[in-house]
Amino acid sequence: MQTKNPPIKRIKLSFLERLYLPEIFKGMAYTFAQMFKPKFTMSYPEVKWKPKPVFRGRPVLVERADKTGERCVACGLCARVCPPLAISMQANETELPQERHPITFEINMLRCIYCGYCEEVCPEEAIVMSDEYDITYHTRQKAIMDKQQLLVPMEKVQARLDFLREYKNAVRNAAEQAVGEDAKK
Amino acid sequence: MKHEVELIDGVESLAKPKLDTATRFEKRKKIYQALEDRDTTVLVDDDDPLESTMVLNMGPSHPATHGVLRIALKLDGETIVAAVPELGYLHRAMEKLAENKTYHEWMPYSDRLDYMSPYSNNTALCLAVEKLGDFKVPERAQYIRTIACEIARISSHLLSIGSMLMDSGAVTIFLYTFQEREEIYDVFDMLTGARFTVSHCRIGGVASDISQECVDFIKNWLKEFKKKLSDWRKLVDRNRIFIERLEGVGYISKEDAIAIGLTGPNLRASGVAYDIRRAEPYMIYDRFEFNTPVLENGDCYSRYLIRMLEMEESVKIIEQALKQLPKGDVRIDNAKQAYAWKGEIYHSMEALIHDFMMTHEGLQLPKGEIYHAIEAPKGELGFYIQSDGSGFPWRLKIRSPSFCNLQALPQMVEGGMISDVVVVIGSLDPVMGEADK
Ligand code: SF4
Ligand code: SF4
Repeated sequence: MQTKNPPIKRIKLSFLERLYLPEIFKGMAYTFAQMFKPKFTMSYPEVKWKPKPVFRGRPVLVERADKTGERCVACGLCARVCPPLAISMQANETELPQERHPITFEINMLRCIYCGYCEEVCPEEAIVMSDEYDITYHTRQKAIMDKQQLLVPMEKVQARLDFLREYKNAVRNAAEQAVGEDAKK
Repeated sequence: MKHEVELIDGVESLAKPKLDTATRFEKRKKIYQALEDRDTTVLVDDDDPLESTMVLNMGPSHPATHGVLRIALKLDGETIVAAVPELGYLHRAMEKLAENKTYHEWMPYSDRLDYMSPYSNNTALCLAVEKLGDFKVPERAQYIRTIACEIARISSHLLSIGSMLMDSGAVTIFLYTFQEREEIYDVFDMLTGARFTVSHCRIGGVASDISQECVDFIKNWLKEFKKKLSDWRKLVDRNRIFIERLEGVGYISKEDAIAIGLTGPNLRASGVAYDIRRAEPYMIYDRFEFNTPVLENGDCYSRYLIRMLEMEESVKIIEQALKQLPKGDVRIDNAKQAYAWKGEIYHSMEALIHDFMMTHEGLQLPKGEIYHAIEAPKGELGFYIQSDGSGFPWRLKIRSPSFCNLQALPQMVEGGMISDVVVVIGSLDPVMGEADK
């Protein structure tokens, strides 16, 4: 139950603070100064934000370097690890050197939470997170992306592949690590 | 709150509540029936119009309730006679879901608990699992976690302060703090790859290393942030209107705060110096110099001020951690405890098998029970895990600070004014994703 006078130490304000006028001017001055700061916002659809390689956008399937098909061997690991069960696939044999591939590979983009687990477990570097973040659809059916929609050439995701090699690997594979001043000694 | 004690069979026990459960249930049912689909209900006692009380439904979709919290308020004029917070509108069965997912698979779900500071939740879960398995996590990973957790604390406190000030009428600060949170999102984007749902902590380490670019960005941001923080404090701390609005509102004493189980800034604002980072240092917090701010008053103003002070301490921790950041791996180099390195999976059969086993079967943890709590921005966030030796938790219980802190709400608002409810909720800073789980 609250009382009108709880046992607290009240703050003592000086005369000027009680007068309140200086406070108003202080606030006005601070707000006024903000006007001359550089603009913080971005006019979004006209100006597009360019994500860095670290960004986890839409998961995509990587095409083979010789452009004959996808790298994926349909091992099913990504489908198993996907927390919201967004991935489904059907494996089959193929003429490609990897001998196995998915005949269907679907990611339900309404389910995907962009966690990046699929990329993390894939033993073939076949599924990676791209830099696409602006994904919209008009129907629920269109949100289920099939293999053709998911397949992208390797050059497009090269930056991400390089990032994975450098930052998700053991330290002995990393070129240069960011360390603090104290640790440099 | 003084507990009445009575003797039952010669043993001192807590006195039974005055009303027995059935009567209380009946009374509540009557109120809820009266409230059905209506915002307010006026109850007239004994046909005397002067003895009427009004029952007001605040929420679940009220801008001031910070999510989907519903409070049934019984009013006598403008004074609150009784308040009952109703939870569960955002219940997503997190704990049950965990029983059907491996520890690793469930980790992204923890982002969605306290969505104002996802990194702390990730860390809390990973630390609990690591404690159960007795894993030795590399130092570099601990440093990255610490840095990210403290940034998450700042982010959470900024939102709390911004929205609390907005609730009490100062909209400008809200915009300033949100601009700062945008910068923090940029930091998280650079560190983890996602702005909001970071999912970056892994059992046994973290997902990816921190880049030099990110370190520089954080350093620059901290410089700016310190300046802004002191500017805001000059603006608000001794503002007469703000003080008169908040001082003495929502008072809770030290004893009550302990009895109810408040934790975090809310407890420290009542004069109890309990901070898990100091009381039971986890990770590497014992290596840093920082203070635990404690205020005595226990009112809304102290709860505002303590968050401001805590942000200053967090800045200190981040600065020290960035300075000490050591070289090394960011994950355990043992394929039985954490995922093998990507480079090895591509080239070695053994690593590949471990990758498959880890994904299909999950971690093989010993049988047993474990509880591990961290000092999350809102208070003590603990995970209690019961393991039956398989890759799935047999039972996973979340001790969420928002849920426990909300229990203090009736006591803080009863007897006060209706307009105080809004600032009291703002000062308690509950996040419903975490309270409802
Ligand atoms: S990013 Fe996560 S949720 Fe999306 S498909 Fe990959 S594993 Fe599933
Ligand atoms: S984990 Fe990689 S190789 Fe295996 S099915 Fe998924 S995309 Fe294909």
